[in-house]
Amino acid sequence: MPVEARELTHTYNADSPFESTALDKVNFKIQDGEFIGIIGHTGSGKSTLIQHLNGLLKPTGGTVIVNGMDLADKSTNMKEVRRTIGLVFQYPEYQLFEETVEKDIAFGPKNLGLDEKKIAARVRDAMRLVDLDYAQFANKSPFELSGGQKRRVAIAGVLAMEPDILILDEPTAGLDPYGRDYILSLVENWHKLGRTILMVSHSMDDVARFADRIFVMNHGRLEMQGTPDEVFDQEERLRAMGLDVPAVTTLAGELSRRGFDLPRHIHTMDEMERALLSLLGGKEHA
Amino acid sequence: MLKDITLGQFFPGNSAVHRMDPRVKLMLMVVYIALVFLVKGFLGYAILAAFIAGTAFLSRIKPKFLLRSVKPVLFIVVMTFVLNIFFYRGEELLFQWWIIRVYKEGIRFAVFMALRLVFLLVGTSLLTLTTSPMALTDALERLLKPLNAIRFPVHEMAMMMTIALRFIPTLLEETDKIIKAQTARGADFDTGNLLQRAKAMVPLLVPLFVSAFRRADELAMAMEARCYHGGTNRTRMKQLHVTGIDYAGIAVVAVTTGLVLLERLL
Repeated sequence: MPVEARELTHTYNADSPFESTALDKVNFKIQDGEFIGIIGHTGSGKSTLIQHLNGLLKPTGGTVIVNGMDLADKSTNMKEVRRTIGLVFQYPEYQLFEETVEKDIAFGPKNLGLDEKKIAARVRDAMRLVDLDYAQFANKSPFELSGGQKRRVAIAGVLAMEPDILILDEPTAGLDPYGRDYILSLVENWHKLGRTILMVSHSMDDVARFADRIFVMNHGRLEMQGTPDEVFDQEERLRAMGLDVPAVTTLAGELSRRGFDLPRHIHTMDEMERALLSLLGGKEHA
Repeated sequence: MLKDITLGQFFPGNSAVHRMDPRVKLMLMVVYIALVFLVKGFLGYAILAAFIAGTAFLSRIKPKFLLRSVKPVLFIVVMTFVLNIFFYRGEELLFQWWIIRVYKEGIRFAVFMALRLVFLLVGTSLLTLTTSPMALTDALERLLKPLNAIRFPVHEMAMMMTIALRFIPTLLEETDKIIKAQTARGADFDTGNLLQRAKAMVPLLVPLFVSAFRRADELAMAMEARCYHGGTNRTRMKQLHVTGIDYAGIAVVAVTTGLVLLERLL
């Protein structure tokens, strides 16, 4: 299900004193199975961008085409669009509302008009994916759970719709390190099933680790797009936009300056580990 | 979608009208409302119209915004006008058909009633357009202070109003976010019959209430952490002062009042 944006533009409060352009002629193409990381400082248009991809916001100029469906076209079947693209908002646990975890996860599939049996199967599958034990959690109220568990329920609610393309807006915000790893590995597993992922993140480390390609947003424009190597090699440009490079990249740069012979393009912990090991004589650590 | 709703129609500015002490503005508004009811003839309305036009000009509020306040209640204005025409019983019969009788006095009275409503709306919206809701509650608190004597919790009421006003935009934003989140999960808020639509509101209202309570809880905690304990001995950062502009405003209203009273006597 390729996603394509053509000259996508969005202006809030057009023709009023409060007019502001949140998206300015954004163009991109996403292939099936890609993992896209979206970075940009606060107010750079990331949230506006992802809300266009499943038709929550209508473009004021240009268009978005998902799997041949033109989202700027009023006659496009929005239900089909929302089945194709799942959107997990920031702090998704604030959208929980049902009496039980099971009912809440079933909300999405129910809206798709599936039959009872299918819905029940979807709920079980989704709960397994986010590692919530069915027997233990299905009949609990979502409001009794911990923050991390709530978020997993909320994400399961979107996964149960089995979207081909999953968009997550800062899925790890406000979680402890354990919760973060949990959500990230969940996203990674979903990606391994061959699905397209778009993840907005403020963590350069996470983006470097998972993304095949990175979109850099700045003042409503898609300023850069490319592989982590292509993007993170332009440290100066990123810093000028209020962004950063992964912590290990900074460390590698620091080490190179002090005479250690490290290869270029070190953006993840794994790459750093390999580089350091080969520098120390290629021995595997015990 | 919800961002288009304007609540508390305050229009920020720095005109003389904006800078007036909100207490004085509020009291002058009471006088103005009394005048609207005291006016006897068209000459009186002309005086009030001049007063409003002058104030609006000084405040630099576009007439478009002023008249917008009449729009939501236009129906009531028209209804009042029509009902008064048909039900007023006077002496000089102008027109009669079946049981409908229109008198000359009826038309006059109906026009007056409609004008009265319009003048009330435009005048009060001129106040809210030039005074921030916070300033208004502040003024109200100061003006109602004497009620403390009969143990009416003036400060607490004003604080509640302030907090309520403060959270309107926050809750609107929250509503917008939840609507979007549930829409992304395939919820449909716009179609179906009344019962289906009411049911569709559950996924919106439950999270909204939960978050409102959470916010209230957090705010209470934050206020307590800053030693808030009600109004006793509390001083204010922004003291309200009656200045030259206010005296000028009082003078203008006094002259208007004089003219209206004169018109009434003539």
